[in-house]
Amino acid sequence: MPETTILETAAPRSVRTVVDVPLNRVEGDLEIRVELADGYVVDAWSAGTLYRGFENIMVGRAALDGLVITPRICGICSTAHLTAAAKALDAITGVTPPPDAVRIRNIALLVEQMQSDARQAVLMFMADFANPAHRDQPLYEEAVRRYEPLRGSTAIATIAQTRRVLEIVAILGGQWPHSSYMVPGGVVSLPGAADLLQCRHLLAGFWQWYEREILGCGLGRWLEVRSRADLDVWLDECPAQRDSAVGFLVRFGRQIGLEQVGVGHDRYLSVGGCELPAGSAVRPWRGSGTQLVPAGFAEGPRVRPFVPERIAEHVACSWCGDYAGGRHPFDGATEPYATGGEGGKYSWAKAPRYDGQPAETGPLAEMVVAGQPLFVDLLSGGGPNALVRQLARLVRPAFAYSAIEQWLKETQPGGEFYRFAPRPVEGQGVGLTQAARGALGHWVKIVDGRIQHYQIITPTAWNGSPRDSGGVRGPWEEALIGTPVRDPANPVEVGHVVRSFDPCLVCAVHAVRAGRTVVRKTL
Amino acid sequence: MSLTMFWLQCGACGGDSMALLDTESPDLAGLLAALDIELLWHPSFSNGGPYEYEDLVARLLAGEQPLDILCLEGSIIRGPAGTGLYDAVNGRPKKNLVAGLAQQARFVLAVGTCASFGGVGADGEIEACGAQFAKWEPGGFLGSDFVARGGLPVINLPGCPCHDAVVAGTLTALATGTHLPLGQFNVPEDWYSMLVHQGCTRNEYHEYRVEEQDFGRAGCLFFHLGCHGPLAHGPCNKLLWNRRSSKTRVGVPCFGCTRPDFPQARPFFHTDNIEGIPRELPEGVDRAHYLAYKGMAAASAPQRLTARKTRV
Repeated sequence: MPETTILETAAPRSVRTVVDVPLNRVEGDLEIRVELADGYVVDAWSAGTLYRGFENIMVGRAALDGLVITPRICGICSTAHLTAAAKALDAITGVTPPPDAVRIRNIALLVEQMQSDARQAVLMFMADFANPAHRDQPLYEEAVRRYEPLRGSTAIATIAQTRRVLEIVAILGGQWPHSSYMVPGGVVSLPGAADLLQCRHLLAGFWQWYEREILGCGLGRWLEVRSRADLDVWLDECPAQRDSAVGFLVRFGRQIGLEQVGVGHDRYLSVGGCELPAGSAVRPWRGSGTQLVPAGFAEGPRVRPFVPERIAEHVACSWCGDYAGGRHPFDGATEPYATGGEGGKYSWAKAPRYDGQPAETGPLAEMVVAGQPLFVDLLSGGGPNALVRQLARLVRPAFAYSAIEQWLKETQPGGEFYRFAPRPVEGQGVGLTQAARGALGHWVKIVDGRIQHYQIITPTAWNGSPRDSGGVRGPWEEALIGTPVRDPANPVEVGHVVRSFDPCLVCAVHAVRAGRTVVRKTL
Repeated sequence: MSLTMFWLQCGACGGDSMALLDTESPDLAGLLAALDIELLWHPSFSNGGPYEYEDLVARLLAGEQPLDILCLEGSIIRGPAGTGLYDAVNGRPKKNLVAGLAQQARFVLAVGTCASFGGVGADGEIEACGAQFAKWEPGGFLGSDFVARGGLPVINLPGCPCHDAVVAGTLTALATGTHLPLGQFNVPEDWYSMLVHQGCTRNEYHEYRVEEQDFGRAGCLFFHLGCHGPLAHGPCNKLLWNRRSSKTRVGVPCFGCTRPDFPQARPFFHTDNIEGIPRELPEGVDRAHYLAYKGMAAASAPQRLTARKTRV
C-alpha cells in the first residue's frame, strides 16, 4: 500500500474500537487526512486516534451496569446512551414501561437533543464563520460579533439558554450529564405537579429564545417553509428572519459555497426514536408509525423499511483483530490491535454498513426518512451538501418542541413511572434510538446475570467510519471529495464539511499540503 | 496580572467540559474575564487552526509561553503495554504531552474522576490512571514526588462529572491567591469533606430505615439499591446539579463517582449486606452499635414515612 494511504487520522471517540465522544479541534481525537490536487480534495481518510475500550469494560459486569457505565461514553449525549442501554434491558426483561415513563424518557432525550443541536450549530459549526479565512466576506464582521467562541453574542446566549433547558433533565433525572434514571421497566423518578410545571416553564423560556434568536419567527411561520422557493421568500420577508441564526446560516453558507461541498453518498439511516406512549396525542413525523422519529434507510429520497439485522461492522481498515467482510453486532467483537501504519488500517473506529453500504445519519437523515418537504426539495437535484445538513440540525428543535410540550402536559403527576422488572438473568436485546447525532445502538447479551457481550455503534461511527472491506469510504470521507481548499495551512473548508456531520464535538483537521502530498507521518 | 490556562483532554468523554458550561453568575466566559484568566486553548471552545495549536504547544513545552494553570480532563492512557498508543496525537502518545506540560505549569488541576484517579478504564486494557493517583494508590502517571512549579501537587477535583462550581471555585482560589486546604487524595476540603448523603431529601427515610428494595418509590436507597451517598465525599446535595436536583433526590442511587475506585467492580444498584446491614458502613461507624440503632430507628418510623407520604 502506498505511503499516502496510511494514516493516522482519527474518528470520534466512540465506544469500542473508537469512541464516540467529543472529538477535539486539534488534539487528534479526530484526525482527518486529505490529499489535495490542484487545490481540491481528491482523497480523504478519517481516523479515530483515541480508544477507550468501553465494550470490553462491560464484559463480566452485572446486568444493569451498562446504565451507569455507558452514559460515560459521551459527555454530550449521555442521555441517548442511557436510553439505548435501558431499551436493550427492556427487551431482555420483556417488560414494557408504563406510558408516563416513556414520556419522561422521551422528554429528557429530546431536551438533550435540542441542547446539542443549538450548541453544535452555534459553538462548533458557526464558530468557523468567524475564522480569519473568511475575513473578506461582507458578513465576516457580523459573524465575529455573533459567533466568536466564548465572546460572540449568539455564542454567549446559546450557552446560557442551553444550560437552562437542561434543568429539565435534572428535574426528571437528577443531573445532566451522566445520570442513570432510566431502568428496565421505566424511570426511577416520581415527578409531581410542581416538578412538571417547572419543566414547562423552562421549556417555554427556551422556546421564546429559540424563536427570537434562532428562527426569527414563530414556529407556525417556520413550518410553512416547505420548499427552496419558500425558504427564499422567508429569508426576504423581514429583517428578523434574515438576521436570525437560521437566516445568517443560509446567507453566509451560500456566500462561502457550502451548498457546493459535502455531497457524500446520498444514503441515509435512521433507526427511529421516541416510542409514542399509549394514549398520546403526539403524532409521528411521518405516517402511522409507533415512533415520533421514523426509522428507515433511504437512497436519495427513496425510503425503505429499516431492518436491524442488515447492520454489519467491517474492520478491514480498523485497528482490530481481523475478519473478512462484515459482522452483525451480536456476532462482532472488539479486539484492539495496534498495527500502526502497517497495511491499510488507520483508525480505532470500525466501519458500520447497512446492507453492505455506508450511510450518513443525523438530523438530515431523519428529515429524509420522514419525507419532510423542505429537505426533500433541497436535496432534489444535487443531493446533500454541507449547508443543508447543518440547516437540518439547526431547525430540528422546531420539529421536536411540540412533542415535548405535549408530553409534559400529558404526564400524570405522581402517576405510574415504573413497572416491576426482574433483574435480567439470561437473554439478548438491542436498544436502538436516534441520538442527537443520529443512529445509536447497544447490542447486549446477558448470561447468568452477567454481561457476556456488549457492542455499541454510535452515530459518529457511521458518519466518520473508515473504509470497509470493499475499500468504500465512510460518509464524511466521501463527502470531502471535491472540496476546494484555499489555504492548506488553514483548511477551514474541510472543517465545514466534517462539522456538518456533527462529529461528536469538534474535529481536528490535520491535513494537507499543496500538490499531491499528504502531510502527516505515519504512526 | 493575567493568568494563562490550557485545557487538555486525554481519555475523556468531554462531560467535565460540558458540566462547566453549566456555571452561571458569571458564566464561563464571564468568570474567565473576571479572574483575568487567558484561556490559551480548550479543545471544544477554541477557534484556532491545527498549526496554531502546534505552535502554541511547542512554545509551552519550551517554556517560551508561560503556563499558570493546566487543566487535565480524562484519564492518562498508557496502554497497550505502556506505549500510550491507544491515545496518540499524530502518532505521539498524549501522555508524553501531559508530562511535558505538567513540568511547565504553576498549577495542575485534574478535573473529574478519570483525570484524578483513572476512572473508567483504570482496570481495563487501556491501562488508564490518574495524573497523580492510580485509584487508591499515590503515584499515578506523574509520580508521588511530583510538585508543580507553584509548590502544590496535582489538585484533584473528582466527580463524574466534576461539579462546575468546584472547578469555578478552584480557579477563583488560584487566581485570587486564596488558600484552599487539600485533604486526603489532594482534594480541596471545602467541597470534599462532606458526604453526598448530606442534604439528600430522602434523609428522613434513611434516618428511620425506611428502605427500598426496588425502584420508583420515595424511600432510602442505601440498604438494598447500592446508594453510596453515606460512603462518598462530594457536594452534590449541597450545591445541587444544574441548580435543580441530584441523583439521590430523584431516586437514582449515588454510585460513588468521586471515589478513587469508581467505577467499582461490584454491581451497581445493589448493596452487599451482612445480616441485613450494608457491608460497607459510613466512615468511623461501629457495626454493632449501628445495628442496634437502625433496629430501633426502623421500629420508631412514623406512618407517614412507612406509607411514603412524605414527598422527596
